[in-house]
Amino acid sequence: MVLQNEDKLEVGYSSLQPKPKKWVLLMLRLLAFFATAAATVVMGLNKETKTLVVATVGTTPIKATLIAKFQHTPAFVFFVIANGLASIHNLVMIMGDLFGQKLDYKGLRLAMIAILDMMTVALISGGASAAAFMAELGKNGNSHARWNSICDKYKTFCDHGGGALIASFAGLILMLIISVMSIIKLLIKPKPDSTTVVP
Amino acid sequence: MIKPKRLLSLLLRFIAFGTTLAAVILMATSHEKGTFFAVSYEAKYTDTPAFKYFVIANAIVTVYGFLVLFLPPGSPIWRLVLALDLVFIMLLISSISAAMAIAQVGKNGNPRAAWLPVCGQVAKFCNQVTGALVAGFIALITYIILLLYSIYNFLNPLFEKA
Repeated sequence: MVLQNEDKLEVGYSSLQPKPKKWVLLMLRLLAFFATAAATVVMGLNKETKTLVVATVGTTPIKATLIAKFQHTPAFVFFVIANGLASIHNLVMIMGDLFGQKLDYKGLRLAMIAILDMMTVALISGGASAAAFMAELGKNGNSHARWNSICDKYKTFCDHGGGALIASFAGLILMLIISVMSIIKLLIKPKPDSTTVVP
Repeated sequence: MIKPKRLLSLLLRFIAFGTTLAAVILMATSHEKGTFFAVSYEAKYTDTPAFKYFVIANAIVTVYGFLVLFLPPGSPIWRLVLALDLVFIMLLISSISAAMAIAQVGKNGNPRAAWLPVCGQVAKFCNQVTGALVAGFIALITYIILLLYSIYNFLNPLFEKA
């Protein structure tokens, strides 16, 4: 399917030959967008409700409802925000790649893309590692601080959180590869063409 | 005579090396013993994997910073230093993020999970950990400034056209 697109473009615009590297970068960005969006959505909708019978008065049992939400933990809130921002960044980059080829600012387009990619990598790595250690604490508890583990009580919450974490780490690796490719693109770019007007 | 550009870069790298070393030392020497209602407890940095990760990551970056301080200015290894700077910034961000997440739970607790805050009983430990986190944060900012500075120097021909 990719080959057909390239052939079509070659027939239509023979002067602008898209290199195969452009499609690889676009596919990687699409994958990273899906990974980070999946992590955001799965963790954002992570909620588990448990009803326990606390006491019995006569014949009616008194129920207590315990809810586990991702908003209870600042680490997970940061995780959701970081992955949301990363997926927005990937979306904007994909749109810019597909529809905004002519957008440029004083010839700094590639430099801006490379720097923004590096910033996104940093953001995702921060969010993913904070959530990973918080999830480890929730799973194993901490005997020194007398903190009990919560995963045996809220199993679905822990499972969904783990799935979101895996998606985020996959997005991080993809984003790292994309960042390296953007930097390589920046460093081997030929000199700016002489058609740009210098004010 | 040392050029001012080289002097600035050297100064920044020395600050980065110093702050990562401070973060390692502060975190590694933080421990406190005490009793709480006849229950004796001890708080060390090895209690949490997040703090262990923080110490290891900052130790790696300290060794790297020390080696880079002695790199001669004209060597072609500086391009590798640019790439390694990015990798180590990512490591620093991840370690600070993890340590801060656990430290926040230790300071404020999490009432919904029945996790009580521990900073009331081990105040000295908490203060030293806070100091280590602050040092790590300053190191991170210094490394980011260094990375932007190196990229700017590298891309100078591109910027001159603008």
